Amino acid sequence: MILYTPLLIALLGACVVLAFRNPRIATRVALFIGGLQIASLAVIVWQVHEHGALRAGRYLRVDALSSFFLINIAFISGLVLVYASDYLLHAGEGRFHSPRWFYALVFLFLFTMISVCLSANLGLMWIMMEGTTLASALLVGFYNTKGAVEAGWKYLMVCTVGIAFALFGTIVLYLAAVKAGMNPAAALDWASLMEALPRISLDPHLVKLAFVFVIVGYGTKIGFVPMHSWLPDAHAEAPTPVSALLSAVLLNCAMYAVMRYDAIVSRAAGAAFPHTLLLIFGVMSMVVAGLLILVQRNLKRLMAYSSIEHMGIIAIGLGLGGPLGLFGALLHIFNHSVGKSLLFFSAGNIRENYGTLRMDSISGMARTLPRTSIALVVGSLAIVGLPPFSLFVSEFAILSEAFAQARYTVAVLFLVILSVVFGGFAYYLLQMLCGDASRNSPTKGKLLASEYSVMGIAAACLLYFGVRVPHILTVMIQDAMAVLR
Amino acid sequence: MGLVEVATERILNSFSVFLFLTILLMAVSRRISTSVLLFSLQSAIIAAEAFATGFRERLFEAYVVAALIVIIKVIAIPRAFFGLVSHLNTSSDVKASTTPTQSVFIAAAMIYLSYAAVQSYGQSVNVAEDALAAPVALILTGAFLMVSRKKALMQMLGLLVLENGIFLAALTTIFGMPLVIEIGIFFDVLIGLLLMGVFAFRIRDTFDHLDVSKLRRLRG
Repeated sequence: MILYTPLLIALLGACVVLAFRNPRIATRVALFIGGLQIASLAVIVWQVHEHGALRAGRYLRVDALSSFFLINIAFISGLVLVYASDYLLHAGEGRFHSPRWFYALVFLFLFTMISVCLSANLGLMWIMMEGTTLASALLVGFYNTKGAVEAGWKYLMVCTVGIAFALFGTIVLYLAAVKAGMNPAAALDWASLMEALPRISLDPHLVKLAFVFVIVGYGTKIGFVPMHSWLPDAHAEAPTPVSALLSAVLLNCAMYAVMRYDAIVSRAAGAAFPHTLLLIFGVMSMVVAGLLILVQRNLKRLMAYSSIEHMGIIAIGLGLGGPLGLFGALLHIFNHSVGKSLLFFSAGNIRENYGTLRMDSISGMARTLPRTSIALVVGSLAIVGLPPFSLFVSEFAILSEAFAQARYTVAVLFLVILSVVFGGFAYYLLQMLCGDASRNSPTKGKLLASEYSVMGIAAACLLYFGVRVPHILTVMIQDAMAVLR
Repeated sequence: MGLVEVATERILNSFSVFLFLTILLMAVSRRISTSVLLFSLQSAIIAAEAFATGFRERLFEAYVVAALIVIIKVIAIPRAFFGLVSHLNTSSDVKASTTPTQSVFIAAAMIYLSYAAVQSYGQSVNVAEDALAAPVALILTGAFLMVSRKKALMQMLGLLVLENGIFLAALTTIFGMPLVIEIGIFFDVLIGLLLMGVFAFRIRDTFDHLDVSKLRRLRG
């Protein structure tokens, strides 16, 4: 029953919030529903931590791996809802274009992402993953400008086609399982498949074929190069809270799906094949996105490319495997979410104040917007992986795994790209922070409580996790790793 | 063998040929309405195939799925498309970037390619090569239609053809996915089309045309 609560809260919440036309009341209602949602997710996570995997009916199941991703969803969605509460009040009243529509769509979006993590069945997981595209497409096109419409259309088409390939992969895996003698009702059930795998043998050709389609399909949603074309547009044109949700939650949910398949394929056909594919996509994403960071003009596009780069890092961690690689990848998922939300929040403030995100038309920000500048600097230092911030810890873990396995090409490329990205971020940051403050003066200048509180929480989290990873998080990540073994 | 059994066998043996025919005709069609009718015909063929599979394998679920295809893909979606075409007030030209001759050659090449691709898998899954090549050909043609037709509506249609191919792949190899999953996929397709319709209106309103190849403000 407790597995149904967050889903019901999200669905009912989406309907309820639509009933309030007044933006301020709608915002308060949304915050209340969001609070309930987070509480219900926390209960699930706690139950899993205490009693192990839970199951509800044939289609819902939660284990330590999904509960790790649920923590991520709960934490980031809480930050985003609080941040959006003031940010969104300027939105007008129109069809699909008012705070109440925004919150309704956000709750639908959360519903689909939580469902992805709670699905026991790989078919249901696909349905919900496609649902995430559908729920967020209108959010990407929320502002209804030329750019937003174009980005929304591109997002919808590219991701729908991409994910169709994942469906094909799901069907091929189902075919392999049924041919091997599994009961058709259980053939798509992840836990039953994993349990049956040492005993039954799936056709390795079919399983590998399935994984190729799945990694291309879900990889489109992760933003792996070369299927990433939708990602910078969608992140740049969406309202800032949505950009944070896309980057910090949606990409991770797609990564979660790939991890589930990776575990099955590793058991059925050996780990070498899926891990090599993950490494190839990871290195490719990291290199291409890292170089493209250098030529960006728009702050949010810069961050979008940085998201692709970090998804590459996570894929490298998964592809290397091993205790440190996997630990680093999971920890990096969490750290990247926090860091990237902080960066998007500060980008949102910059946009509100300057009315633009073009980096060459912003200067002297350190003097005019000191608090936002601090957030931007902290976020950037963290995201490029400098100590003492948390991303350094996870990147270091992945890097040491690469050296331990003597994969020197991967390790060297990893280090080179990290320094290139550092150079890019430093160049653009200095350009915006220093210089003539009078050229383009901000309009508002003051940070609201809702904005600096969430930015403070995110920054504190980055710093604290960089100094020491909390014991409870370590335990949860180790539980999640045990699920994949 | 009764008449029904003979008909079932005939359908199962010949559906690939008819599907290849719809693919080639779609490649040459210059009007949106013709393409939509061809899509409807193609879905009807697949529905017949699902029905025949249900009859031969004694699968109740396949009948349900066949009925769903008839309702959604043969009737509802084409009607919605005609509604969209008339509401959007757009010309009926598909705005192809290849000539019909080129298109038909490319489609033929894709059919050939799909035969080549499935050759090694025919043995291991125990299905006739024709039946395995047809879904792959549909997927490839759907993708080809999406990249070579500039009208937003035709991209939606290409996506539907691609989806038909994936559905057919499940049907011919394992007699379809579990019913609940199948219904969920249908639901996703419907909502997806609805949203694309919303975006088609928005593209028309903000850009004054429906030519998605001209949407290139966002680059790099």
